[in-house]
Amino acid sequence: MKVILPDQDPKNIVFGPSTVGLFLNELGLNPLEVIVSRNGTLVPEQAVIGGEDEIRVIRIAHGG
Amino acid sequence: MKSSAGSGGVPVCSCCGEPAVIYLPASQRHLCGRHLICDVELRVASTIKNESQISLGDRVAVAISGGKDSTALLVILSRLLLSFPGSEIVAITVDEGIVGYRADTLRAAEALTQQLGINHHIVSFRDQIGDDLDTLLTGREKEACTICGILRKKALADAARDAGATVIATGHNLDDEAQSVLMNTLRGDLPRLIRDTGPGSSSLFLPRIKPLSAITEKEIAAYLFVKGLFSVLPECPYTKYALRAEVRTMLNRLEQLHPGTMLHLVYSKKRIEHYCEGMAVMEPLRRCQECGDPSSGEICQVCRLKHSLGK
Repeated sequence: MKVILPDQDPKNIVFGPSTVGLFLNELGLNPLEVIVSRNGTLVPEQAVIGGEDEIRVIRIAHGG
Repeated sequence: MKSSAGSGGVPVCSCCGEPAVIYLPASQRHLCGRHLICDVELRVASTIKNESQISLGDRVAVAISGGKDSTALLVILSRLLLSFPGSEIVAITVDEGIVGYRADTLRAAEALTQQLGINHHIVSFRDQIGDDLDTLLTGREKEACTICGILRKKALADAARDAGATVIATGHNLDDEAQSVLMNTLRGDLPRLIRDTGPGSSSLFLPRIKPLSAITEKEIAAYLFVKGLFSVLPECPYTKYALRAEVRTMLNRLEQLHPGTMLHLVYSKKRIEHYCEGMAVMEPLRRCQECGDPSSGEICQVCRLKHSLGK
């Protein structure tokens, strides 16, 4: 998968097929603190990703 | 209730069977983009109605930083206020003067208000106190959020009053509210925990309302993403000094393991408010002897802060 992580350049990661929730868990990210898009469309934690998907992880918790 | 995986391995919306964009653990529902938008806007409308936050003819000053919460608030209120004849919105941005942070969000706020055709006022700490926040915080960085919070609240209240507003709306969401309950509890600050600043609470200041207080931070981000309004903006450089940042991480972890934790915290606050009703928990509000603003002591927080900053 092509993966774009918060504050990082795009990279290719071999993953899945498995769920967004498990992917975030592997990255050590809390699903409450990010939203995830697959090929430009928002997907919930239960969605299955893998293969040639382009995954973007966007951090949402900001401010003081 | 539908929620099984649809085509492409995406669960389907519990309402219509379209691919879902979000899962809401509290209600155990998957929602598609269209139903997420409806759900969020309906719940904001319910909060406004149930708490009598806005009345016909109100002039609502919406505090807009340009970040996601205030962006969602302005977008939603600009729709909902169509059903409040005679009511109108004015947007207010406080420019604290934080290099590498505020310029981007200020541009976002200006673009949004222009797009929505809403009158936009910008006030700055430099105008208000003679210096930007970065300068005021030299050597006092660990107090950033306290100092900024006091000055920002004052700047917003003054700007709202100058704009003829009758109520101030802020973008605090459910996560913010739960964090505040925990922070005030950790500090043992009961008066602040139960402080009421809503409509009818006092004639000494403009009431403050939080129409997004039942919506989670994640729902707000997803709402904006679906509407094509989500922007990645820089993080405040002073966040690392904030107790709120630690509390947020801890609460998010608890919420993930025990869905409903944040709601329970906010509910517990309402219960405590109920039990404390009529009790003399807080000092009665009076006028500050120096500036005349509402204050719980002889000298208000802003004047005390100005003294300590040599202003």
